[in-house]
Amino acid sequence: MIKIVKRDQPSKAIFFFTPVLAIFLTLIAGGIIFYILGFKPFEALKFFFIVPIADKYGFSELLLKATPLCLIAIGLSFCFKSNNWNIGAEGQLTFGAIVSGGVALLFYDQEGFYILPIVILAGAIGGMIYASIPAILKTYFNTNEILVSLMLVYVSKLILDYLVVGPWSNPEGFNFPETRQFSDSARLPLLFEGLRIHAGIFLALAAVVISWFVFYKTYLGFQMKVSGFSLKTAKYAGYKGKKMIILVFLISGACAGLAGVGEITGPIGQLHREVSPDYGFTAIIVAFLGRLHPVGIIFASLVVAITYLGAETAQIFMQIPKYTGQVFQGMILFFLLASDYLLFFKFKLIGSKK
Amino acid sequence: MNTNLKISNVTKIYPGCVANDDVSLEFNSGKIYALLGENGAGKSTLVKILSGVVIPDEGKIYLNKNILKLNSPSDAKKNDIGMVFQHFNLFETLSVFENLIIDSDEQRENLKEKIDTIMKKYNFSVDLDVPVLNLSAGQKQKVEIIRCLIRSPKVLIMDEPTSVLTEQETSELFLSLKKFSEEGILIIYITHKLKEVMQLCDEVAVMRRGKLVSVSQINNENIESLANKMVGQDLKTIKKKKENTSSEQLIIITNLNFTSEDPFETNLVDINFSLNRGECLGIAGISGNGQSELFQVLSGEIISNKNSIEFNKNFIGNLNPQERREYLMAFSPEDRLEQAAIPQMAIFENVALNNFKSSNFFNNGLINESKIKEHSKKIISEFNVNTDNIDLKSQFLSGGNLQKLIIGRELITSPDLLICFNPTWGLDVGAINYIHETLIKINEQNKSIILISTDTDELLKLSDKISVIHRGKLSKIMNAEDVTSEKLGILMGGGN
Repeated sequence: MIKIVKRDQPSKAIFFFTPVLAIFLTLIAGGIIFYILGFKPFEALKFFFIVPIADKYGFSELLLKATPLCLIAIGLSFCFKSNNWNIGAEGQLTFGAIVSGGVALLFYDQEGFYILPIVILAGAIGGMIYASIPAILKTYFNTNEILVSLMLVYVSKLILDYLVVGPWSNPEGFNFPETRQFSDSARLPLLFEGLRIHAGIFLALAAVVISWFVFYKTYLGFQMKVSGFSLKTAKYAGYKGKKMIILVFLISGACAGLAGVGEITGPIGQLHREVSPDYGFTAIIVAFLGRLHPVGIIFASLVVAITYLGAETAQIFMQIPKYTGQVFQGMILFFLLASDYLLFFKFKLIGSKK
Repeated sequence: MNTNLKISNVTKIYPGCVANDDVSLEFNSGKIYALLGENGAGKSTLVKILSGVVIPDEGKIYLNKNILKLNSPSDAKKNDIGMVFQHFNLFETLSVFENLIIDSDEQRENLKEKIDTIMKKYNFSVDLDVPVLNLSAGQKQKVEIIRCLIRSPKVLIMDEPTSVLTEQETSELFLSLKKFSEEGILIIYITHKLKEVMQLCDEVAVMRRGKLVSVSQINNENIESLANKMVGQDLKTIKKKKENTSSEQLIIITNLNFTSEDPFETNLVDINFSLNRGECLGIAGISGNGQSELFQVLSGEIISNKNSIEFNKNFIGNLNPQERREYLMAFSPEDRLEQAAIPQMAIFENVALNNFKSSNFFNNGLINESKIKEHSKKIISEFNVNTDNIDLKSQFLSGGNLQKLIIGRELITSPDLLICFNPTWGLDVGAINYIHETLIKINEQNKSIILISTDTDELLKLSDKISVIHRGKLSKIMNAEDVTSEKLGILMGGGN
């Protein structure tokens, strides 16, 4: 007989093993779903997970998708580590894109080395402004940041919609819902001829290094860790709770805003209706799959980025909707939460007595 | 029909604490029984055993001579044992009627009839159609009682039912309880309030430290004798040597008030006291009378009016704990595992929770790990924490060792005042002695202590002055020599 027993303490090995287990279970469940849909499971999984990254172009696409995921997830981990539940990164990304796009449009007919830094900075500030709304409402009016940050996502998307259809739409654009093309000076440079991967990846890598340093080497990181374990202890130690809430929201808003900059100033070079295929939401999964650890987040963002690519390949070659990608993302989170049960419980084989 | 409930040799042991030690009791219907004791005396455990929430390690329970198997709360219900807990178990957004029928499989119409009859019989007036959240505490309690009565219980257990009631509601409750009793329901009334026992009950059983101390007729008792039994006659009043304390006032609290938005917290009303250097002020009281709020106000977790706290000639009422530490205050909260320390963090990280500017744990925002570790090693050796591995997660320390670490962390910076809240709660005798010796020692070094404790023994042993907190009000401050355990017991129960 198998019995479930509580662990004396959460196991460190299991802590890093459960994400791997979750991915494995997702593959199995995905195979089963493909089988039910009438595809050969292994072939379908190959189309989904291997074909998309088999060549140079595919690999560049993988990094292109992983970049915003990683950047946003790093920002979110500041919030999540300190017990703040910012789930509105999608909105912060969108607003960051709006602000930086607006600045880029100001310079649409100009060239100059100074333009790109201003555009990037504007994106970060836009994200921070947008993230500060739930933070301030939480600290001063006791609102729930989950609801506020989530609902602001839809507000930001409507603002973007209004702008690209109305005042900011391209005068020579035949009423397409998009702005003018930005000038080359407002674009993040591409890294390789013919590939879409751009310099935004350095922003993500910088965020990884900085966050690692902050989490493990600074007083702020220590305070976040204490607050994450127990808000009562943080209060007793005398940490300035409100200041910290606002700070982590600003950091995470800046990261999401930068991801927004990458989306519009990279390969696309203009603002349009859909700046992000829900990177802001998917990054929540990435943050937890990566265990809120900077290095873990790198791996998690690569894994989850594949589901975006795989969905596109599957749509082309297998004629199934690209929303399958979201099914896989959902399954990863589902299995991760389920396998986290193993952190606190273990299975024990019991010989049948009697 | 006569109901007989018998508890026979019940023992329940939790890690590090014997909650019920071989308790045997017998109850008969027609009488109201009081179960009296201080917090932690074991009343709640016994009640939980009777209601099937806790399963005893040893011992049996008989109802009318038949052995009862109480493995879950539903077993208790099946056996006609009804229970009204101190905190209500009601769905706030559902209507009264929905709350009453939610756990019953009888037909709605039948229940409606039954409820109407009960309400008429006992003169309860509660509107069945309003949501529970609109009710007063007294009405909510009536709903809970009706919920029990629907099942026509043989036994009704009330756990500290008056803690949330007004005087008026309390006397209404007592009338109902007497009526139930006349109708043959066996009533067990759990409380620490002596006056209520005298007013309501026929027989009283007193518990102390998990043991049954006495069972007696109420006619043979009075408030003083019960207080004595509850607190413990066998206490030896070992007092520390009276040193020549200075007359220099260290901390002066003036008109300190705290009004909470949380209905389960206690408001503090006009707290005034002062304390000299080298003295220990003990604050007694039954838990839940405002001790936790008082601790938080003194430590700065709750910020108050700047002028209400004067410490070392500085007004510090508006400072947070970290800022107060710079003025040489130190704090040891009640909850070791959820507040004073973080079990999942290493010992040295827990040491860094008490952070002074001069300790240099964090330079320019960076963690100075070697400094913290050096400091941690010093604490471990000076305060006899039984480990040499400061990288160890603190969850692996025993309660006693963790408390030594916490007290050590607070004292190694030689503060002028230590404020501690139940510092020896749940510890073994060895650790208790060590903590007590340490506290006496710091008094001898002309440092002051405010000791908030629910352990009367401890207070009488360590304090120079004693005050009692009851419903958020502090009694006048007494010299410890003039205080007896009876007097404390009476004040703790709200007497004069």
